[in-house]
Amino acid sequence: MTSILVQDLHKTYKGALEPSLKGLSFSFPKGAIVGLLGPNGAGKTTTISILCGLIKADTGEVQIFDLPQNATNREAIKGLIGIVPQQIALFPHLTAVENLEYFGNLYGLKGKSLRSRIDEYLQVFGLEKNGHKQVHHFSGGMKRRTNIIAAILHQPQLLVLDEPTAGVDVQSRSMILQFLRDYNQQGVSIVYTSHLLDEAQTICQEVAIIDEGRAVVQGDTTELIARHPECRNLEDVFLHYTGHALRD
Amino acid sequence: MLRLLATIRKEWLLLLRDRTGLTLLFAMPVVLITVMAMIEDAPFRDYQELRFDILTVDNDHGRLGKYIREGLEYSEQFQVIDSVKGLPVTEQQARDLVNEGEYKICIIIPPGATGAIVSNANKIVNDISKRMGMPGVLPVGSRKDSLNVTVYFDPASKKAFKSAIHQALDNFLTQVETDLLLERIKQQLKRKDVQETDSMVIQLKAVGLKEQLTGPSQEIDVISNSVQHNVPAWSIFAMFFIVIPIAGNMIREREDGSLLRMKLIPGSYLAILTGKMLFFVAVCVAQFYLMMQVGIYLLPLLGLPKLMLGQSLLAAFIVAVGIGLASTSYGILVGTVFKTPNQALNFGAISIVILSAIGGIWIPLEIMPSHMQFIGHLSPLSWGLDAINDIYLRNAGTGHIWGHVGKLVLFAVVLLCTAAVIEKRRLS
Repeated sequence: MTSILVQDLHKTYKGALEPSLKGLSFSFPKGAIVGLLGPNGAGKTTTISILCGLIKADTGEVQIFDLPQNATNREAIKGLIGIVPQQIALFPHLTAVENLEYFGNLYGLKGKSLRSRIDEYLQVFGLEKNGHKQVHHFSGGMKRRTNIIAAILHQPQLLVLDEPTAGVDVQSRSMILQFLRDYNQQGVSIVYTSHLLDEAQTICQEVAIIDEGRAVVQGDTTELIARHPECRNLEDVFLHYTGHALRD
Repeated sequence: MLRLLATIRKEWLLLLRDRTGLTLLFAMPVVLITVMAMIEDAPFRDYQELRFDILTVDNDHGRLGKYIREGLEYSEQFQVIDSVKGLPVTEQQARDLVNEGEYKICIIIPPGATGAIVSNANKIVNDISKRMGMPGVLPVGSRKDSLNVTVYFDPASKKAFKSAIHQALDNFLTQVETDLLLERIKQQLKRKDVQETDSMVIQLKAVGLKEQLTGPSQEIDVISNSVQHNVPAWSIFAMFFIVIPIAGNMIREREDGSLLRMKLIPGSYLAILTGKMLFFVAVCVAQFYLMMQVGIYLLPLLGLPKLMLGQSLLAAFIVAVGIGLASTSYGILVGTVFKTPNQALNFGAISIVILSAIGGIWIPLEIMPSHMQFIGHLSPLSWGLDAINDIYLRNAGTGHIWGHVGKLVLFAVVLLCTAAVIEKRRLS
């Protein structure tokens, strides 16, 4: 069973000169931590937006846990996925608890069960003493951790993280990565996008590298590195497939 | 329902923590209404309510001067001034003082004016007497040319003011002439038969004027004054300024990604939007009632009239909700169309000022040119103001306001649909 199946996905935004996706295909196994990697403009954000039903592909097929992403299944799929956007998608003038209560309520959670879940995650992420501080007083790492909690309150089966460790200190990064490993152990599939390829190499069991709207390679992280004797690590593999040209 | 209530709670918490925003929403409109009501108090007062000093140069020293003086002072609108620094004012001096703006009006009564009126009355009575077979014995002067009471106005005086003064003076002259004529007629008839005419009363006015209220109740006599216009008008203006916080709120949510998070959560975004709308409509209604309290309690302390609310409090509440819906929808559209808070702030503020100016908020639509009145009636602010005026000034009830409220609600629906289409296009 796959967590995500993407087949021949095409997408051109209105008014855009170039298509964002040009026949993108890949699949990720259920229960794995996988990396969706690519340089700027490769189509990662567009792919994630299609996966979670935010925008529609022009053509192609997407399945999440074998459910086709269409109008019928869109809401059900939203309930299966937790998205951690790159931005800190929180209300800065609400406390962490108020933010989490609000997003929990939107997921239909309420009362003691919501409160106990919030307390539990605040504890896991080391925020239990800061739950009643307004988010704009938080450090970058604390904001990132709260951002993750907001995406897992409803206990999704698939967690998609867009650069979850961008701009955080070593301690916060270590905590986040350890949490992802632990969370994955509970059976949750995790899709991870990042430009920090050493981090991706450490955490991802499998990666798909996409460039210019197509998947250029996909496979087990260790095997991919081993497949290219000239490559010492995932970054070398990445550059091998995507080249050294700047993507401004 | 949980999504809706959670959104209302979230907006409430955000507003409570935004002290500056709270001040702008509630304190600034109070200041605005107070200042505007005070500034526009004088222009709104009818000229009958104001007291003017009138310079009077009486070269006649007769009955006409006395009548004009008594008439002007009786009206309580004018104070007759006939001396400056203890000396009788001269014609030249009076003209100069008016020209310099020291006085608004100057009346010069020419020498021989009373004589001319008496002579004219005598002539009429003599003519009537002769036709009735009686001798015309009253003395008639030889003067052929007519005399004029001259009026000088401050060059800055408005046309309506001049017209009102002209009319008042003309009434006094007519009154003097009529009184003298009747007096002469009675005098002539007295000569014929003393017994009959001693008890004779001549009543000239068989039909008079009586002012009645048009509203359903005779209990409330409300006149349009600065408070009755400015409090509802600037309240509506302030309520429409909710466009700024709403648009800013929406753009911030889009920029910081929280809108994205909300859309990624299963369930209708409409429920979240409805929660947001309900909260801001409630803020608008709260603003409205705060402004009404200003009109009722604060402005009278500053010497202004008390705001009269009409008789249907329910109708006023419905209109306040209608205005809140229209202004909130406008904010949502502005927040959807514009990409940055700066763009939304500038457009939102300027567009509301324009809509208020053409919608009769600054000055009533009735005194605008007809083509501007037509344009003004297209402004949602004018629909709100018309509805409030119907309730407050005409004592209209809920049955009479649905036309205005319907337009406000339709305006809200059209704007929300437009915002939905734009948002959908943006996503694609």
